[in-house]
Amino acid sequence: MEVTNKKPGFRNQMTAFSVMAALLILGVVLYIFARTYVKAWRLGVEMSRQAFDQILGRSVPALVGMAIAAVVIAVVSLLFQTMTESKVLTPSMIGFDAVFIGVQTMLLFFFGSTSVLFQNSYVNFLISAGAMVVISLLMYSAILRKSKNNMIFLLMFGLVLSGIVGNGARYLQTIMTNYEFFQLQAAIHVTVNNMNTSIIFLVLPIMVLLIVVILARHRTYNVLILGGAQAKGLGVAYEKELHRNLILVAIGMSVATALIGSLTFLGLLAVNLARMLLKTHRHLPLFIGSAVIAALALIMGQGVVELLEGAIPVTVIINLIGCSYLFYFILKENKKF
Amino acid sequence: MIEIKNISQSYSRRGRKKTLKNINFVVPEKAITAMVGANGAGKSTLLGVMANIVPAQAGEVLLAGEDITKIKPSDVAKKIAFLRQTQQLSVKITINDLVEYGRFPHCGGRLQEIDKQKVEEALGYMNLLDLRDCYLNELSGGQRQRAFIAMVLAQDTPYIFLDEPLNNLDIKYSVEMMKTIRMMVDELGKTVIVVLHDINFAAAYANYVVAMKDGEIVQEGKQEEIISKGVLDTVFDHDFNIVRHDGRSVCLYFDYKL
Repeated sequence: MEVTNKKPGFRNQMTAFSVMAALLILGVVLYIFARTYVKAWRLGVEMSRQAFDQILGRSVPALVGMAIAAVVIAVVSLLFQTMTESKVLTPSMIGFDAVFIGVQTMLLFFFGSTSVLFQNSYVNFLISAGAMVVISLLMYSAILRKSKNNMIFLLMFGLVLSGIVGNGARYLQTIMTNYEFFQLQAAIHVTVNNMNTSIIFLVLPIMVLLIVVILARHRTYNVLILGGAQAKGLGVAYEKELHRNLILVAIGMSVATALIGSLTFLGLLAVNLARMLLKTHRHLPLFIGSAVIAALALIMGQGVVELLEGAIPVTVIINLIGCSYLFYFILKENKKF
Repeated sequence: MIEIKNISQSYSRRGRKKTLKNINFVVPEKAITAMVGANGAGKSTLLGVMANIVPAQAGEVLLAGEDITKIKPSDVAKKIAFLRQTQQLSVKITINDLVEYGRFPHCGGRLQEIDKQKVEEALGYMNLLDLRDCYLNELSGGQRQRAFIAMVLAQDTPYIFLDEPLNNLDIKYSVEMMKTIRMMVDELGKTVIVVLHDINFAAAYANYVVAMKDGEIVQEGKQEEIISKGVLDTVFDHDFNIVRHDGRSVCLYFDYKL
């Protein structure tokens, strides 16, 4: 009997990857071009070699930050979807963003703006990341273990958590001093334009490590799509795996949120587009595909925004598209949902 | 050999409502053992505990004399293949990929020559070679169930535990499925435990029957001994009428009198 090595759709996958890579490069070029020549032309000045180098020097950390955050969001979203056996959930829907804002508010309120807990980016980051890990473990023990596959419950939990934490934070914000409030605004309104570059050297190795750790286990994740019981039947230590992966998701989300703020729909969009384009359930191509798409969306989007003189923030565009896509997806998959 | 010793299990926290009560049982080798009983009798739970899918709360399961919870999960999966009741998967996956995942305990997802060979054998055995590139959601219920059985076969284990494999199958496919399970025992020398809802499938195809009620094994033994009015009336709380046809027992449980 002939043993075939052929995987269906392999050729298409390679094409898809090439196109995505090409678009990504185009996006980077567009971004740099928009920030240099277009800007110079608009201001009516000549683009000098020196100025170009200077702007390029500033663009590189921004590009690296965007790319790595996008990659982490995409990878973590796919992992989260696999663990929850759902195609519409993303970690931000469970209220991770709200927790980030809540932690920042509480740190500032209870320890003051001069406290090392708030001011030192490293300490601050470690605390927010820790809080998110704790929350995700609570979520695991309270919900995932008992009512897995119960999406409605999970979404309700996210809604309630966001509500409680968000309102609590808002209450504290109204009773804090003006000065503290502005300090807080600066801390929680990290966006793509206003990246928290002070933590980039702490965050970068964590992110790279995280991506490596997740990608190394892509074969195990493939089996997890068969569901917990069946995965156990195939020799996966499922509880351990679930625990571990939720911690990885929590770390990834806190890192990404602390670096570039919340991008609720980026992960959802990237992962589902990758599924659509690559037509596979295997995690390795999906991880790579969704990572590239996420980076592409963020960088290309930011390039376009720079071209338009920042008329709309890129997060708004991404959330708009992601949101419409979610609508479409829910309506299309209504029966399964 | 698989031996179950004093297994007790409860869902409620304080252990008041027991789903399994002090179960002792030795799995008969190279035979089909059917687990029968009313809903909530604890059949599926017992099967899960035996395969270490559900951790045992009290008592132990011995796999070749060793406590199953102390054995590495991947090593358990090389001995026992467990198939849960089929559910819709959230992702699209081809038969070929599914069957390849049966090799996961052996190769961790990196298929070697031997793994590919086992996949081919399993696909061939279940007549799925032509359908291998089809997605599961495009298949009929019978074909889909065959694909899952092929995955279990590819896992290449001496023990196979099937949790209600006839669920959602119509009569034709149910019979086909039971015949396949029969072949797995007769031709491949597997030991199969199967949870069945319909007592007549147990009567027709099983060698041994374990009759469960309220978390206890009421009686276990050869098929001929269990499929009797005395036992079944107690187990199912119902008036059975057992007739003989072609040398086998058939259970009639319909009540004509209105």
